[in-house]
Amino acid sequence: MSELINKVSQFFSSGIIDLFIGYKKGRLGEGKPAFFTKPEQLNELIFDENCIVNLAVYLRKPELKKYSKIGVLANFGTLRALLQLAAENQIADGQYLILTVADGKVLEFANLKAIEEYVANNLPKPNPERIAFLKEIESKSREERWEFWTRELASCIRCYACRAACPLCYCEQCLVECNQPQWVGVPPTGMGNLEWHIVRAMHLAGRCIGCGECEAACPMEIPIGFLTQKLNMAIISNFGQVPGTKLEPDYALSTFKVDDKENFIR
Amino acid sequence: MEYKLIKLEKIQDFINALIASGKQVLAPKQKKEKVFFSLVGSFDEIAMDYIQTAFSAKSAVFPKCEELYTFEKNGKDTILHNPPAPENDTIVFGMRPCDGAAFDYLTTFFLKENPDYHFKMRYDKTIFVGLTCSSGDEFCFCTSVGISPSDTRGSDLMLTKTENGYYMEIITEKGKKLVEQFSNFFEQTEQIDKTKYTANIQKRFDSSALKEKISGAFNWERWEETSLPCFGCGTCAFSCPTCTCFDIQDEANLVGGARYRIWDTCALGIFTKHASGHNPREKQSERWRNRILHKFLYTDEQFGTLSCVGCGRCIRNCPAELSIIEQVNAIMEG
Repeated sequence: MSELINKVSQFFSSGIIDLFIGYKKGRLGEGKPAFFTKPEQLNELIFDENCIVNLAVYLRKPELKKYSKIGVLANFGTLRALLQLAAENQIADGQYLILTVADGKVLEFANLKAIEEYVANNLPKPNPERIAFLKEIESKSREERWEFWTRELASCIRCYACRAACPLCYCEQCLVECNQPQWVGVPPTGMGNLEWHIVRAMHLAGRCIGCGECEAACPMEIPIGFLTQKLNMAIISNFGQVPGTKLEPDYALSTFKVDDKENFIR
Repeated sequence: MEYKLIKLEKIQDFINALIASGKQVLAPKQKKEKVFFSLVGSFDEIAMDYIQTAFSAKSAVFPKCEELYTFEKNGKDTILHNPPAPENDTIVFGMRPCDGAAFDYLTTFFLKENPDYHFKMRYDKTIFVGLTCSSGDEFCFCTSVGISPSDTRGSDLMLTKTENGYYMEIITEKGKKLVEQFSNFFEQTEQIDKTKYTANIQKRFDSSALKEKISGAFNWERWEETSLPCFGCGTCAFSCPTCTCFDIQDEANLVGGARYRIWDTCALGIFTKHASGHNPREKQSERWRNRILHKFLYTDEQFGTLSCVGCGRCIRNCPAELSIIEQVNAIMEG
């Protein structure tokens, strides 16, 4: 940890950064998001596998505009979110100083291309427990799946914590807030909840980097991460596109190609 | 006041008899990792050993979504219908004293000046059975806001677990009626000192000192710095026993529909967004400030009461682990 603290401390003293977003010890010993503006605060800085919050979610906060350069301590999910945000023209190369810690060593990424290479070489295998759960849902009949999801989503209170926690949900105005016309029912009733979660999942299909923050933030313990995960698996197997791994836009659901094999699109 | 005792082995029969009589029993129930107030079909579903439910008992009378009225078109007329009043009583069982104390505030807010039809309709049909806290955790701070972990405020009946069974204080007429209806489950007993059975909840700040400090805190320069980890999920407000803000939404088709009241929160940007596009609370730090000042200053000015009961839900539920206790102490430090 001292290497990390020394390094970040140097970035501060040489004027390279004036804000560093990292983690400090949380209530159960895991990492919680922390914002450092002075090197003397850095003794609280930690980083380990229990630092799971995706810090990319903070980069859209207007409060951060006053800082001239921000450093981010990125876990793997944060790195993938940064790549996806870059592919969607939401962040620029060199805009942030990005660090991670791998095998006990601090890595400073020279540019987004370096993150792309790092992510390509370290892409983890899907969590077998989650795959098993998805398989279990898939094995159910259509009626059983409908029953499962309507029951789960009935408890949704429409707080939109899933949206707030998602690093890729950055729209200034969310579709659910549009009331002329009102596309999605706002009251947390059965149909409105279903519509909201379908909309959310479809907007993240092929963009979701699978960090799990939506599910972690859900105060009602709804397994919403499986919706985007399932759609992503379909996109990966049909189009070979893995979100949050490439700097070039590569997005199955909004790409138009004149030589598309489907006739309806021409 | 009258006192009764329910033997440990009788509590199960009492709850099951309540359910069998057609009353709805809303009680703590384990979901995955959290405990929620849920309607239960038998005593076995109730989680008796828990520190705090993830959401408060307010949903019994102020649900996340309720029909204000329905409407239908009839030629050129529109006919409105009030929602039907609940037929059966609801028993909120196992409510913590902090949630009970929250009803002091909720009833002031909803019933004092212009009684709210929908709130009253539910409140009149709800019986609150409180449960003294025998333990707390580091996020409990009821004693800092003038509430005790065995407080009977807001409860119709109050249970305290002792070695002989559940000691019960009969607080209100409503509670007394219920006890009379199910009298065979109870034994007569003398008043006891509850201290031995009550959790020791540490004081985390001095609310009278805070009162002096917070009145000038609107322009405090650290609001932004202390709220940076907040990404605006609103879970603090949704799970808060005293947050009362709501939105009104219609769902309709060409022939009719319904008008709903749903929970809302000042944590969301759209909460204060004007039709012009201007937002007086543009940044999350301004929304966070509003929440803190509302709890500790605005309702004190308006109703003469704080609107924080120290239940700790906003701390336990916060995905960024922000703490209202730390926030208050930071304000005290200046």
